[in-house]
Amino acid sequence: MISFQNVTVKYPYGNLALNDATFEIADNEFIYLVGPSGAGKTTILRLLLREIMPASGRVIVDNEEISNPKYHDLTTLRQKIGIVFQDFRVLHDKNVYENVALSMRVKGYAASEIKNQVVEALELTGISEKIFMFPAQLSAGELQRVAIARAVVGDRSIILADEPTGNLDPKTTWDVMKIFKKFEKNKTIIFATHNTDIVNSMKRRVIVVKNGAVVKDQRKGGYEL
Amino acid sequence: MKDIITSLRRTPYQTSAAFLVLFFTLLLSGILFISLSFIQGLLSYVETRPRIIVYFQIKAEGAEIRAVQKKLEATGKTEKIEYVSKKEAYNIYKEFTKDDPVLLEMTSPDILPASLEIDAKSPEYLPVLADFLKDQPGVDEVEFQKDIVQNLLNLTRNIRRAILVFFAYLLIMSIIVMATTTSFKTALKKEDIALQRLLGATNLYIRQPFIAESVFLGLFASICANVSLAIILFSLNSFLSVFLAGLPDLTISVMNMSLQVWPFNLMFLLTTFGITTLFGLFISLVASLAATNRYL
Repeated sequence: MISFQNVTVKYPYGNLALNDATFEIADNEFIYLVGPSGAGKTTILRLLLREIMPASGRVIVDNEEISNPKYHDLTTLRQKIGIVFQDFRVLHDKNVYENVALSMRVKGYAASEIKNQVVEALELTGISEKIFMFPAQLSAGELQRVAIARAVVGDRSIILADEPTGNLDPKTTWDVMKIFKKFEKNKTIIFATHNTDIVNSMKRRVIVVKNGAVVKDQRKGGYEL
Repeated sequence: MKDIITSLRRTPYQTSAAFLVLFFTLLLSGILFISLSFIQGLLSYVETRPRIIVYFQIKAEGAEIRAVQKKLEATGKTEKIEYVSKKEAYNIYKEFTKDDPVLLEMTSPDILPASLEIDAKSPEYLPVLADFLKDQPGVDEVEFQKDIVQNLLNLTRNIRRAILVFFAYLLIMSIIVMATTTSFKTALKKEDIALQRLLGATNLYIRQPFIAESVFLGLFASICANVSLAIILFSLNSFLSVFLAGLPDLTISVMNMSLQVWPFNLMFLLTTFGITTLFGLFISLVASLAATNRYL
């Protein structure tokens, strides 16, 4: 369970990045976080990763108030979360297997368990035949599949996807969305996007953010600003 | 291991700089340790041989000297007392000046003093015995090793200070070079580190490859330094054996254990290698921890 309670984030010069945002996300829920660039979508994701702290309000993840300055279990928090970025952020000197395995290695999994889960994730994301290739040998769509595989292995219960289809062509975008669909049953997925087509065709809960404020929160909504 | 070697190969100049500095530091540290141990062993040897030589006036009679000897024995502070008569002194002098007949011709047993060579039970008895002897009848001069020990102590103290300053310099220089090299590598991996942190990696996990690489370099440099040290010692051993002929076995005390430092032996070499290796590991660890600390 994720809960934002009257969360406000200020930029260093006083502008509001997020203004009194309040919403809750249940376990294993898929939500779209939509809004124009600069609306505050990434700020919400960064708050969940505790990369930034709110000026006021509370951010709660699995009953732990991570916005509390005394919260020190950052490693445990981040080990629950898988992340998918628009720019993939894969390690260029590691092959596909090593990139995905990294997500489990940081959690101290045994080599045999890593192998099982990585191979399974690569099969689910449809990139298992390129397991020993390096990022420079992969297309953008393939890199995003690697990033998704990395986000889902290692029993991470929350996936934060920040514009994951932003750099992809329409066909690849749909392939990637199908992969997300495979994992939505047992993961909480927060999918930040401004891709109207995706939101409108794959109906899920939509939280609309505009100028730092949550302006709409709809079950099975569409992309409306 | 493969990752470590790949990483070292990818930054050849930084790796070479770190290796050479570490190698030089460890080789010098080994040489300094051996030198200091040798001097300490020499000092210990001199200290364990507390000896006084008391020269009697030319006119002093044998009976007078024997009486002094008895009084000395009665103090209970002496280990051994040896009487050297005028004749024996002349024989020693003859042996000493056998290559210079002119000197020998100018001397006769009558002008050489008889003496007592006294081994004290402990160095601290030397001044007491010396003061006692100065008051005895027929005594001309009392010589004991206080000055020699004092000079050697001063020398050892100064050498130890100089070595400590030099050690500190080497240590700081090595740590700075190693830390700079590791910092450079850490900076190159800034994005990787940021990603690992987002994935929930612990600080130890992130540091591990940098520490492993540094420790590998430290171990490799210490192996090279130890091999070089062994080659230097084996090459010098025959020369030193001739040069220091007559020098008895020298030992130092390390943690209540006696360690022979001369003639060179396997145990002393292994101890030196161990210390050098530990020093190398210490430098690598401190440098890598300091360098990675900046990014965590």
